[in-house]
Amino acid sequence: MGEIGFTTTIPVEIVIAAKKKPVDLNNLFISSPRPQELVDAAEQEGYPRNTCGWIKGLYSVAVKRSLEAVIAVIQGDCSNTQALMETLQLKGINIIPFAYPFDRDRKTLETQIFKLMDFFQVGIDDVLRVKARLDNIRRLCWELDSMTWQDDLVSGLENHYYLVSSSDFNSDPFKYEKDLRNFIDKAKRRSPCKGQVRLAYIGVPPIFTDLYEVLESMGARVVFNEVQRQFSMPFKTGDIFEQYLNYTYPYGAFARLEDIQEQLEQRMVDGVIHYTQTFCYRQIEDLIYREKIKLPFLTLEGDKPGKVDARTRMRLEAFVNMLKA
Amino acid sequence: MASKVIASGTGTSGPIRVFEEVLVQARIDAQDIVRMVATGYGRMTFKGVDRQISEITCHARGVSHLVPTARTIIDIGGQDAKIIKISDKGKVLNFLMNDKCAAGTGRFLEVMSRVLETTVDQLGSLGSKSAKAAAISSTCTVFAESEVISQLAAGILKEDIAAGVHQAVARRVAGLARRVGIEEDVILTGGVAQNPGVLEALGKQLKTMVKSAPIPQFTGALGAAIIAWEEL
Repeated sequence: MGEIGFTTTIPVEIVIAAKKKPVDLNNLFISSPRPQELVDAAEQEGYPRNTCGWIKGLYSVAVKRSLEAVIAVIQGDCSNTQALMETLQLKGINIIPFAYPFDRDRKTLETQIFKLMDFFQVGIDDVLRVKARLDNIRRLCWELDSMTWQDDLVSGLENHYYLVSSSDFNSDPFKYEKDLRNFIDKAKRRSPCKGQVRLAYIGVPPIFTDLYEVLESMGARVVFNEVQRQFSMPFKTGDIFEQYLNYTYPYGAFARLEDIQEQLEQRMVDGVIHYTQTFCYRQIEDLIYREKIKLPFLTLEGDKPGKVDARTRMRLEAFVNMLKA
Repeated sequence: MASKVIASGTGTSGPIRVFEEVLVQARIDAQDIVRMVATGYGRMTFKGVDRQISEITCHARGVSHLVPTARTIIDIGGQDAKIIKISDKGKVLNFLMNDKCAAGTGRFLEVMSRVLETTVDQLGSLGSKSAKAAAISSTCTVFAESEVISQLAAGILKEDIAAGVHQAVARRVAGLARRVGIEEDVILTGGVAQNPGVLEALGKQLKTMVKSAPIPQFTGALGAAIIAWEEL
């Protein structure tokens, strides 16, 4: 079974319906034993220093792994993806472009999804069959999420791990489902974790490898992982087009804001951490969230993969202390 | 009782040397200390403390103790700048820090004073002689350094460049401060508060009176000591 890489969440149902293995390049990069070496390797090839670490990591993992093709999301995610796609083409890697329409137009999205289905030579019935199967797994993700914020049984890190992995189900939906089911059964026997500062984490997943542990050591717990939760497609719909229209991540700051506001209210959050990547255009959007979200707000910036640095740690500590006082 | 400043990087012998010198100055033994709180970048490497607290919390307590009317603290240290909004009790209400760039910090002044062949302590008085501050357009320390070198080559007076450097720091920090919102009294602390040029430029930028904290290099340490005292 050939592996199909992708640069951010795409209609994974199509890849699985084509009997291919989906591989989220982001997860491959950040879970590799030495992610910094991957960034360095891209820089040695000529990637500029002042470019996002994720793009460089994605480039190196895609070059190293023998992938059948890479689906590159060239609209609805970072525009650097276009150059990433081109430099991968230069290496002879087969590229399939995919674009989420910025205006969230259903017709345009349908065209994109049908194009992807044509490429993989799968029909809508096959895709919907896979969707029904994946939705069973996604329901477990939603259960895990409510066990995080409602029942206080699941940590922010565990929530992050399972939800961030739901973009490709760790390339093996059956195994992912089994692992998650076991985890949920075990977590149900825990006693609730009370009295901690409740945080929301908004923005792309962190490039820091120990952010959640650091926060927990300070007496704070993340009860909302915004983008990771979106990966689990938390929308009850049988319509695949509607599912990828409801998915907020590719449709700009305001689409995301609506979902964030709704969740913040529901989850009784004390403060919000907005994570942005150094050199990312989302650093500009920070000012939108800062203005619109009326809760204590901390902006974090991550550059290279690795542990939380001293400056970031100080910010986190001061923020958690401020919320405790 | 006793205080000491030693220039050092994080993870060096700085904190322990300071501690030893302070003991000598205060004429006490280490065993006489009943509670110890460490703050600042070196707090993680200093062994044997009862608690480590971030300097944001400690500056708030220290400044509030010295200036009870303070509501906005601008702390410009060697490697970063912070704006801290505090309550009348010295509690942190909000804070913002500069991004990962040395422009608008003490490091920027150090680099510039080297280019101007003076010391960072003398930079303030050098700038005060200026009649017309030179414009420094670069936002980055590294680029600003080459900009200043070419200005020197073009014959622009050192004092005018020094005044321009103060304005550049003030512009940068004022931008940060406006994002949090300024509430009087505004107190400048950290090593850079000893530079009257920055103090004045900052006041002009923010269109408000900015006062220097008494003992600006020690407000964080003082805050840590107050917290330690209260926890006894």
